[in-house]
Amino acid sequence: MRREVPIAITFFTGVLLVVAFFIPHEPFGSLEQRFNDWYIIVSGFAMILGLDSLLLHHWNKVSRRSQDWFHSLSLILAFFITLFWGFYSGIHTGNFLSAQSTFRKYFYLYVFVPLQATMFSLLAFFIASAAYRAFRADRFEATLLLFSAGIVMLGRVPMGNQVAPWIIGFVLLLFAFLLYSDGRKEVDSLRRALKFGGAILSLLLIYPLAWFFLKYTAATAGWIMNIPQLAAKRGIFIGIALGGIAMSLRIILGIEKTYLR
Amino acid sequence: MAQVFWTWVAAFLTLAIFSFLYKDNPFYKFAEHIYVGSSAAFWLVYLWYFDIKPKLIDAWRMNTGLEKYILIIPAILSVFILLRFIRPIAWISRWAIAFTVGMAAGLGITANLQGFLVPQIQATFLPVWVPSHNFWHSLGLSVNNWILVIGTVVTIFYFYFSKEHKGTLGALSRAGIVFIMIAFGASFGYTVMARISLLIGRVYFLIHNWLHIV
Repeated sequence: MRREVPIAITFFTGVLLVVAFFIPHEPFGSLEQRFNDWYIIVSGFAMILGLDSLLLHHWNKVSRRSQDWFHSLSLILAFFITLFWGFYSGIHTGNFLSAQSTFRKYFYLYVFVPLQATMFSLLAFFIASAAYRAFRADRFEATLLLFSAGIVMLGRVPMGNQVAPWIIGFVLLLFAFLLYSDGRKEVDSLRRALKFGGAILSLLLIYPLAWFFLKYTAATAGWIMNIPQLAAKRGIFIGIALGGIAMSLRIILGIEKTYLR
Repeated sequence: MAQVFWTWVAAFLTLAIFSFLYKDNPFYKFAEHIYVGSSAAFWLVYLWYFDIKPKLIDAWRMNTGLEKYILIIPAILSVFILLRFIRPIAWISRWAIAFTVGMAAGLGITANLQGFLVPQIQATFLPVWVPSHNFWHSLGLSVNNWILVIGTVVTIFYFYFSKEHKGTLGALSRAGIVFIMIAFGASFGYTVMARISLLIGRVYFLIHNWLHIV
């Protein structure tokens, strides 16, 4: 009863949805939309379970006066103030996010949006520090990552075309210098000649590449986004879809039962 | 007056979160907890007004006959999910969870087929040669198509783990990693630009709306 009924519910819900996909006529035609509405309702109630866990955890911290209990108290207060204000505005204006509601005018625009936007903008700094660690041009693959990220970043800003030639010029100059100093230390004459040749090539490439990036940085960024990036994304999406279908079949057939734990 | 007060509140919260760039501190923790608490309540109110109320309460009031009484099923499932709070009968909540899992699994097949697999494969069937007024233009478009098709195929090969990546499969998967690296780099660059744009928005708020410098 405790395991069989949930497995049966999962099986019938899953199979009915698959059947509804292949028979788009009544009574199956509207089944997907109906189930979707029910799913939204049930998941809405499931959120109460999560909220209970969150509030209980912080209430325990407050009642035990453990470390940072004051912050837990501010979380609980923020929760209930937002909740009552939201419902109060909803009852008075019909829609708690309407232009007339005080909830939208003050809480949403001056507390919720700034907090959310600042929290996400903070990631700009961390992502930059992560890039410093990840983007090391020590391997071919890492160099590709660095190159495509750099072009996309430069190509998506208005001044990118003007800045790109200077950056590429500096990188090539640095490359030439490194190859030259490496070549000077080299004992083997062939390797030495190759390194000096590489240094000269880097210097010769400065002007044509700078000219190319002055003209085509935005276009190159667009090409990267639309062709190689799309190709890889498409391959990944096809893989995800196949994996998702396989997993769904396992769940419907009762092979995968971890959700019953 | 209220506008000024709330602008100061927003500026305080913005600066409190930015203070984390120096180090973890009580101002950041305070703003972080306010964010978690208020957004949890916000989404609860949002769910009520945009999902549960129109799909359950309003639908019950407006519909008649079978359309009305069939709503008892999601209502009962919703009550079942809350039974998790009553320990002796907590196991009944699995019935509601089973419904959501079954729903996700059913959609996992149909939505993946309809929304991802078929359209993505369809979009990859591209012409080998694209006719155009100019030969070089045609060549450019055709090469792009070739890169798209080859890139998609080699990326799939990279994720094929049933055989060791040696020989032909190894060469194909190495080509796949080239495309994957370009895609990850491009996605990274795109994400950075989105975050920078948010950052510019917050800095503009501080110097324009709060300090009135610009």
